[in-house]
Amino acid sequence: MAEEKLESVVALDNVNFAYNGTPVLKNVSCQVFDGEFVGIIGPNGGGKTTLLKLIMGFLTPSSGTVRVFDQPPCNVISKLAYVPQTNRFDKQFPISVLEVVLLGRLQNLPWHGRYSKEDKEAAFAALRKVGLEHLADQAYGTLSGGQAQRVLIARALASHPSLLLLDEPTASVDAKVQVEIYDLLKELRGNMTILMVTHDLNVAIEHVKKVICVQNTVMTLSPRDVCEHFALGLYHTPLITGLTTHKKLPQ
Amino acid sequence: MIEFFQALQTNPILLSAVIAGLAASVVSGIIGSYVVVKRIVFISGSISHSILAGIGLSLWLERAKGFVWISPLYGALIAALISAWILGWIYLHYREREDTVIAALWSIGMALGILFISQTPGSNVELANFLVGNILWVSPTDLKILFGLDLIIVAIVLCMHKRFLAISFDEEQARLQGLRVNALYILLLMLTAVAIVLLIQVVGVVLVMTMLTIPAAIANLFTTSLSRMMIIAVILSALFCFIGTAAAFYLDWPGGATIALVAGVVYVISLFVQKK
Repeated sequence: MAEEKLESVVALDNVNFAYNGTPVLKNVSCQVFDGEFVGIIGPNGGGKTTLLKLIMGFLTPSSGTVRVFDQPPCNVISKLAYVPQTNRFDKQFPISVLEVVLLGRLQNLPWHGRYSKEDKEAAFAALRKVGLEHLADQAYGTLSGGQAQRVLIARALASHPSLLLLDEPTASVDAKVQVEIYDLLKELRGNMTILMVTHDLNVAIEHVKKVICVQNTVMTLSPRDVCEHFALGLYHTPLITGLTTHKKLPQ
Repeated sequence: MIEFFQALQTNPILLSAVIAGLAASVVSGIIGSYVVVKRIVFISGSISHSILAGIGLSLWLERAKGFVWISPLYGALIAALISAWILGWIYLHYREREDTVIAALWSIGMALGILFISQTPGSNVELANFLVGNILWVSPTDLKILFGLDLIIVAIVLCMHKRFLAISFDEEQARLQGLRVNALYILLLMLTAVAIVLLIQVVGVVLVMTMLTIPAAIANLFTTSLSRMMIIAVILSALFCFIGTAAAFYLDWPGGATIALVAGVVYVISLFVQKK
């Protein structure tokens, strides 16, 4: 791991996927290497979340192969961690911040269902990393958008993943928290491979090493190329308008 | 109140009614909390009504066909487990039409139950007992079975609580952590089914939803931890059973309906208290 070798972490080969007959991804091939920080961009409905779900093995491709750490996704599921968007969760759900983070340690849970001291330490360490240790006993549903998002990142870190997947981690947070989250990801870069779905093209270019553009099919680009393509108007209309309106929003 | 306590000492039927109420409260609070947070309230409703098919069949076999060893409790248990399994399978494989199947199972189960009972001589009283409950009707053998089921449920929940919490809060995360989400879901439905059978003894098929949801829903208003929610719900449920049975004793009202009404009134009050 310490050596700079180009080990393939995620490899999609000619993947097709359709939801009830409607094709979402067509002939998708792409690769992500060990330690890379990759931004996934594209219009809504373009298949970004589908791509993540294929990598996690929640969906199986209609054709083609998905390999993670050179294995089928279901074999290496414990090496992955996923940070979903916060708006999915029931605000009334009776669960504390610490309990949410401990969900990142479920794979070690023995039959009798008690977390070990080690699990609790890992959970606290992850909370410390996102700066929310003081909120451990608070109800998850009462947190602000930024805090909730950071708790979900802590949950992912608690499992010590080798591949971290994030679905728009900055979608529901203000500009200040956005900076904090990007700083945190910068800190994690190198320790693990990171794939991040994002709406924010500018940030993606600034922070990531590689951009995967998903719009029914996939283009892998370096951030510099994104600028050129963008300037040349090579993107389809929904992508351009979607991104420019997003940029104009007061943050 | 003193009169009621005296009656408890002299009247074994009333005493066993209160004990059955306490046994049912344990599962009502624990399983009810899962039902509320996992949002399987209507699945539970479907299970509780389809149980009538099992009750009807066993009454018919017992009374009309001479299988005297068959108790309605066995029929109820088997019907509950079968319908839980069907609903679990539908959720996992045919989710698009889940609500339709819930409703279909609900009414088919009831229809079968009513048909069997109509073919059984002299069981209309039993039908009423199962629909609205008659806590006074619990036999000593039933009590033992109820406590046995209580113990099984509590033991399983003690070991599985963290996993049930995980699949209720975030199924995808649970799956990523290697939990067998589908099997856990079916297990939770099975436990719910057994809990419903216990509760039917006390409040009956129609009112079982009260005991499964209201204590947990009230507890949810006042705590932010699922395990604390369960403890509060168990205590509330026991109080409702006790107060309801006592009130029914004084007023000569049907027990199940009185218990359900007490729970309902407290729920409405607690909603207002929480708003303030």
